[in-house]
Amino acid sequence: MEVLVVCAHPHENSFNHAIVESVERGCARAKHHTTTLDLYAIGFPAAMSTAEHRAYHGDHPILDPLVAEHAALVQQAQTLVFVYPTWWSQPPAILRGWLERVLVPGVAFRFDDKGKVRPGMQHVRRIIGVSTYGAPWTYVKLLNDGGRRMLTRALRMNCGVRTPTTWIGLYAMDSAGDRERAAFLDRVEHRLAHLHGSPSS
Amino acid sequence: MRTLVVHCHPDPESFTAAVRDRAIEALRERGNEVRLTDLYAAGFDPVLSKREQARHLEPGPDPSVADHAADLQWCQQLVLVYPTWWSGQPAMLKGWFDRVLVKDVAFELPPDSNRIHAKLRNVKRIVAITTHGSSKLVNALEGEVGKRMVTRTLRAVCHPFARTRWIALYGIDTATDAKKAAFLERVGRQLR
Repeated sequence: MEVLVVCAHPHENSFNHAIVESVERGCARAKHHTTTLDLYAIGFPAAMSTAEHRAYHGDHPILDPLVAEHAALVQQAQTLVFVYPTWWSQPPAILRGWLERVLVPGVAFRFDDKGKVRPGMQHVRRIIGVSTYGAPWTYVKLLNDGGRRMLTRALRMNCGVRTPTTWIGLYAMDSAGDRERAAFLDRVEHRLAHLHGSPSS
Repeated sequence: MRTLVVHCHPDPESFTAAVRDRAIEALRERGNEVRLTDLYAAGFDPVLSKREQARHLEPGPDPSVADHAADLQWCQQLVLVYPTWWSGQPAMLKGWFDRVLVKDVAFELPPDSNRIHAKLRNVKRIVAITTHGSSKLVNALEGEVGKRMVTRTLRAVCHPFARTRWIALYGIDTATDAKKAAFLERVGRQLR
């Protein structure tokens, strides 16, 4: 299976980067092929430009070669994995920008004759989100779990009707000790090694 | 009221820009003192840097966004004008949240606590004016991420009795000119 991992944390030694390594280890155990996009390391430009916005509804919405490269990876992927810290209930701006600029008409969806959105990522068989939260689980649930909703609802609606989603969250991250963090990394690796339909190892 | 309008759209000739102009006009007619932050026009950098992340537990904003933080602490009413993309705020506006609403500007974080305390008690009214490509039904199914961001996440750090108002045009991709004109009227009517 082709797995595309998208990571959005500014620091290369962050816990989120350790999560990415766990994802990659889990995938390797199950013999999946992974490609990782570290948006900060790439220096991905987050803001959609004026020219891109004007081209959005046209025949060629992608103007940036870097975006074209990422769009090709999305089109080959059977699993999308997002790894990010939750800030203000949502992914960091750089990841929102990646969705806005890469998942454009012709890649993630198309407009039908009436101008309605129709799904375009039926090749994606699973969406996985792994996120760290400063707030505890109860607070996240009471207030707003926007990033999760965006990826497991809005993004999923552009995949196949039966595309399952998996969410793995580390809550109250700042008060989590080393043991909890290590257990979380193991949990992520195990989950990725045992995706439905993949040989367990 | 002291009102901060934050506008986010890449195209200066967009419908969202027309909405912004109508909103500012209506706010001024009602005697509000208005300041405008136009994120794209200002060339705002929405990406929180490694340096900012490293000091996120220290108080105060990064010097590069100090003016934005001062405007936020000045206002009594916050008006956000933006298009909804992927069911929420565009990256440019999300980055403004990430970089400007930091510790000791938007919230306090007591030692050994993982619950933030509201610091934007000066903000008594929050208004979001937005356009959605898809229908209200689709947005409801998607969970209205942007609306919750404004009425819950942002409101939680404002005044405890802060009022919120959601002014949205759904289905703009298929909307007629008459529908858009009616929305501009509505924006003018519903602002205080």
